Amino acid sequence: MSKSATVPELAASQSGTRFGILRDYGSLFGMCLVLIVFAIVKSEFMAFHNILGVLTQSTILIVLSLAMLMVMSVRAVDLSVAQVADAASIIAAASLIHDLPVWAAYLLPVAFGLIVGVANGVLMSYLGVPAIIGTLGMMFVIRSLELIYTNGGQPQILFTLPRGVTEPFLYLGQGNLTAGIPFLLAFAVIISVAAFLSRERSVLGRRMDAINGNVRTSFLAGVQIKKVFASAFVISGAMAAIAGIVLTSRTGIAVPRGSESYLLEGFVAVYLGTLASKTNRMNVVGTLIGALFVSFLNNWLTLMGIGAEYKNILSGCFILIAIAIGALRKPKS
Amino acid sequence: MKSAIGTTESGLSAKERWGKVITKRGTLVGMILILLVLGIRSPQFFTISNLLEILKQGSILTMVALSQTIVLVAGGFDLSAGAVVHFVANLSAGMISGGQHFLVVLLLGILIGCIAGVINAALVNQLKIPPFVATLGVMFVLTGITLAYNQGKAIPLKGYPEFSYLGQGYVGPIPFIVIVVLAMLLAMHLYLKKTAAGLRMYAAGQNPQAAKLRGISPSKSLFVAFVIGGLILGLTGVFHASYNYGSSAVASGLDFLISALAAAFLGSTFSKTGELSVIGTTCAGMFIAALSNGLIINGVSNTAMSGILGSILVISVILSVLHKREIGQVTIF
Repeated sequence: MSKSATVPELAASQSGTRFGILRDYGSLFGMCLVLIVFAIVKSEFMAFHNILGVLTQSTILIVLSLAMLMVMSVRAVDLSVAQVADAASIIAAASLIHDLPVWAAYLLPVAFGLIVGVANGVLMSYLGVPAIIGTLGMMFVIRSLELIYTNGGQPQILFTLPRGVTEPFLYLGQGNLTAGIPFLLAFAVIISVAAFLSRERSVLGRRMDAINGNVRTSFLAGVQIKKVFASAFVISGAMAAIAGIVLTSRTGIAVPRGSESYLLEGFVAVYLGTLASKTNRMNVVGTLIGALFVSFLNNWLTLMGIGAEYKNILSGCFILIAIAIGALRKPKS
Repeated sequence: MKSAIGTTESGLSAKERWGKVITKRGTLVGMILILLVLGIRSPQFFTISNLLEILKQGSILTMVALSQTIVLVAGGFDLSAGAVVHFVANLSAGMISGGQHFLVVLLLGILIGCIAGVINAALVNQLKIPPFVATLGVMFVLTGITLAYNQGKAIPLKGYPEFSYLGQGYVGPIPFIVIVVLAMLLAMHLYLKKTAAGLRMYAAGQNPQAAKLRGISPSKSLFVAFVIGGLILGLTGVFHASYNYGSSAVASGLDFLISALAAAFLGSTFSKTGELSVIGTTCAGMFIAALSNGLIINGVSNTAMSGILGSILVISVILSVLHKREIGQVTIF
């Protein structure tokens, strides 16, 4: 499996001469170019505190797009990730409001994410429901539960609680590791490394690759396809819940349906990530780059003070430009 | 494999044959059962006038789903569908209230839809951008233009009987929009199943490499599919504005798109091989409309609605996928 995966990569790098790298990773250069232009237009963009802020803020998107990546790398899709994050953020806030200990505010949402993940896994893997329908159904069910619990969408507010109760919980999103370095940054690194190891350097990850390549062949080769397929959903559910906890801890408020916009951004991040690979494979490092690009893009548009209408137009154009630069250089296959 | 199925089919008892029908046409059986339950619980569900009302309510969704289906058949994917519909709907509402003739608006809507299709096709074919990302970019751009056009406000239409006839008028007892959908369905079915170009589109979508070797151009098929899909979307936008007596302030149309996608996939579970078909899509789109109608008649609350809708969507698929013993992969991404 690992051999066959490297053959096209080898071929790609050998076929290129001087411009081989430029061609293989053209889209990455495209993204860098876009960011450089941003910095020239708006100098605050490259200020240290701004970069640090964006990096910290992007943790939520990073975790969520890694969750999406897990499922998408076995050729499925999880439309419920953003909704799971949403529900998890509400559970975290609600458990603090109801005087539960802090560990409960961390563990209950993750348990919820795991339950949703297992349910998704059973539906998609053991019952065989197409992922796009099954996770869509799950998304609607969770949205309903949220709205019923919050009386049709009342936000769960943490900052009216005494500081002593919320402080240990808010440390995750707002605390500093040492002077100037947010704890969240370290958290993002830990999650990313864990995701990298489990996706790219583990037996499970290899089996995911196998299923991505050919389900029938991997079944004949002895891969327990149902177990691997289901575990992708379980991992994704748990990670989505973590993203939700981070969101509440960072903002101190949980708004029902507040994180639905992350679904699309997560998709974009995973897709941009495929461009960081010569064979257009979905991978962890690429997804990280994609998520950061999306975050920096949003940040720049906010810095420029651009209204929602032009913000949409510009982000559409920039995504197209970044990818077109790379796609043009790739040889026609 | 083929011969084994043939021998078992010849010697079936009546009971086994029914079992076969249920597993083969599982989705249809599941749908009918669910609708029967809803109808028995509240008898006004099965009155002729309500059934026609359901067809009317499902028409817009079905039109979007039909456009999505033809693009999916050709191996593409159109994320911009919802955004095109909302853009055209806003533009039509604005122009009608500005005193334009409704035929001008109709033609312009179709033209804009076609242009969006050509742009999508050009991005995919000429710039070699993956369909998902290309249409995503177009979606962002169109969302922005819509917001710039309507300034985030809804455009209501009152007292334009000619324009309102498109979406709300009746020919005898039958809603006009339903006739349009049926005509569209017939034309697309004939094109996809009875013409060489349509069959080539299926071939090119399923296996572009093999199609190319047979002398079929996948990019040409994709171009045609995007343009036809865009044409339908433009038309849908005009009807949308007419049906809703104006346009809403929502611009991205992502929920719209997801429902349309679900309809297309639900429709594909009608066939044993999971082949997309316009007839399946139409049935599925109308089923989703019937479902929401039936749930409202049965007095389901607004908050619980989406959850019940979601779970029923999953349940109706389970019957047909259970016997396949496959995992629920989605290959369009």
